[in-house]
Amino acid sequence: MANLPQARRVLNNRFRWLLTLAVACGAIMVFFPFFWMAVTSLKTAPEIQRVPLQIAPDNWLNFANYFEVFKRQPFLRYLLNSALVASIAAVSSVVVSSLAGFGFAKYQFPGRDVLFLAVIGILMVPFQSVVVPLYVWMNDLGLLDTYAGIVAPDLVSVFGVFLMRHAIETIPNDYIDAARIDGGSELGIFFSVILPSVKPAIATLLIIKFMWSWNEFFWPMVVTSSPQMKVVTLGLMSFTNMYFIEYNLLTAAAVLSILPILLIFITLQRWVVQAVVMSGLKG
Amino acid sequence: MRQWYRIVFPKNYLDRRKRAGFLFVLPALLFFGSVFILPLAQSVMYSFYKIAPGGAREFVGLRLYEKVLTDSTFWAAVGNTVQLLLFSVPTTVICALAVALGLNRIGNLKWRNVWASMYFVPFATSLVAAALVWQWIYEPVYGFLNYALSLVGIPPQKWLQSLVEVRPAIAAVSVWVRIGFDTMIFLAALQTIPEEYYEAATIDGANAVQRLRYITLPMLNPQIIMVCILELIFNFKIFDQVYATTQGGPAGASQTVIMLLYDTAFKYFRFGDASVMAVFVFVALMAVTLLQWRIFRKPVEY
Repeated sequence: MANLPQARRVLNNRFRWLLTLAVACGAIMVFFPFFWMAVTSLKTAPEIQRVPLQIAPDNWLNFANYFEVFKRQPFLRYLLNSALVASIAAVSSVVVSSLAGFGFAKYQFPGRDVLFLAVIGILMVPFQSVVVPLYVWMNDLGLLDTYAGIVAPDLVSVFGVFLMRHAIETIPNDYIDAARIDGGSELGIFFSVILPSVKPAIATLLIIKFMWSWNEFFWPMVVTSSPQMKVVTLGLMSFTNMYFIEYNLLTAAAVLSILPILLIFITLQRWVVQAVVMSGLKG
Repeated sequence: MRQWYRIVFPKNYLDRRKRAGFLFVLPALLFFGSVFILPLAQSVMYSFYKIAPGGAREFVGLRLYEKVLTDSTFWAAVGNTVQLLLFSVPTTVICALAVALGLNRIGNLKWRNVWASMYFVPFATSLVAAALVWQWIYEPVYGFLNYALSLVGIPPQKWLQSLVEVRPAIAAVSVWVRIGFDTMIFLAALQTIPEEYYEAATIDGANAVQRLRYITLPMLNPQIIMVCILELIFNFKIFDQVYATTQGGPAGASQTVIMLLYDTAFKYFRFGDASVMAVFVFVALMAVTLLQWRIFRKPVEY
């Protein structure tokens, strides 16, 4: 998107308008649920039960549902829990992945290529296939219902190692050798030469990992039990655990849960797209 | 072995350098080993044991496999999962391909970015939030979908509460979430196809359909295979959307394999049975991935 080259074959007939129209209609349809969510969150309970349905809220500045969300549940706590867990996951992922990427890209040690293939092979192991033993481990280690427990399996991802290796491979060996001649230690080279050269890859990994971790649901649900340890995806569910779902509150909570990630996503979209394209082109 | 000995006890500078490289990858290896490889082995082990809630174990051989694999609930869940897949995977891939082809032809870069972003935004939201917003749209009485259908004279449907409509309705949520991701991959790949191919084909008198059939699709072949595999894996593991909305209902019509695994493990604490399912999921995904790779991986050369 942001840095893709100009479309080369531009249609110069009436089909161009039809095509743009079709693409735009699809885009608006895809975007509609967001609009509907935001609009519903501004309505009162009687308003959403009006027949026939009315699209616009009576008062576009009715934020009562948002206040109610914070009153009903410790929703701020949920948001902070998610922010904490996602930040730790993102940072640790960058540290461990860039170290591993450096090792795989620039060193010759026995078994290197086999080990790298094995790491890529981990992608074939679904998380759900290892969740029971992991739960038992967490129980044995006393990490159930703790931040450490929530974040533990999320600390590194295969994609990160792949991304960092790919980025570090492009650094010329001469730079590294020059730093060695200057007397830099291997770890010193990592900090002074490698990390500064792969800033875009680091940004990409930070963002995508934060996003993935923020949206995580399965594992946090398995590992936590007390209300104050809930992450935001679990917090959302607490608005559905009633006989009658108050959709005006639920959508307000959903907006709150999506908003942080959406802001990051919109401002830093270029990096996210890069990550997606990377994961696509490796095939 | 000697090489490894020299890494542990380096003799010279080059050995030390190799050791440094190995030490750099070590944290990642330890992590993946302890979070994926070891637990996977344990899952396989658990599937041969009957584990009492206190932790007492009894080796039962293949009895748990026999129990789970002859259980009609399990196969019903597999059937539901496969049905969901058959709805969502082809729909996602075909729609994404169409959108990417369309976006690729939009000349105005600014507008193309706007439309592309709109397709891409659902990818950033959590599956739980996505599913809950859709549940509201599907709501039979006050939901938007039935309202929109009523405008064109279609009577209200029960959607998530219907035995028949629940699976397509959930599959639609998956399509909505994933379409932007696949579109981005296709769009990036489309940009790498050399323009000369199209020019040459046009001079040879190929029309638009032929260019699509003989140039675009073959050139996108690797990405199409990869996206199909990714979608298959993603949709086979479907859980969040179902758990957040129907919890497997109505009457088990949307019960999926991972839902059943979750309930077995963490509601009834039957770790042995759940481990059989975990092994099944692993083997099934592995087999399907390898098979798909072998069948569809046709090298394209020009």
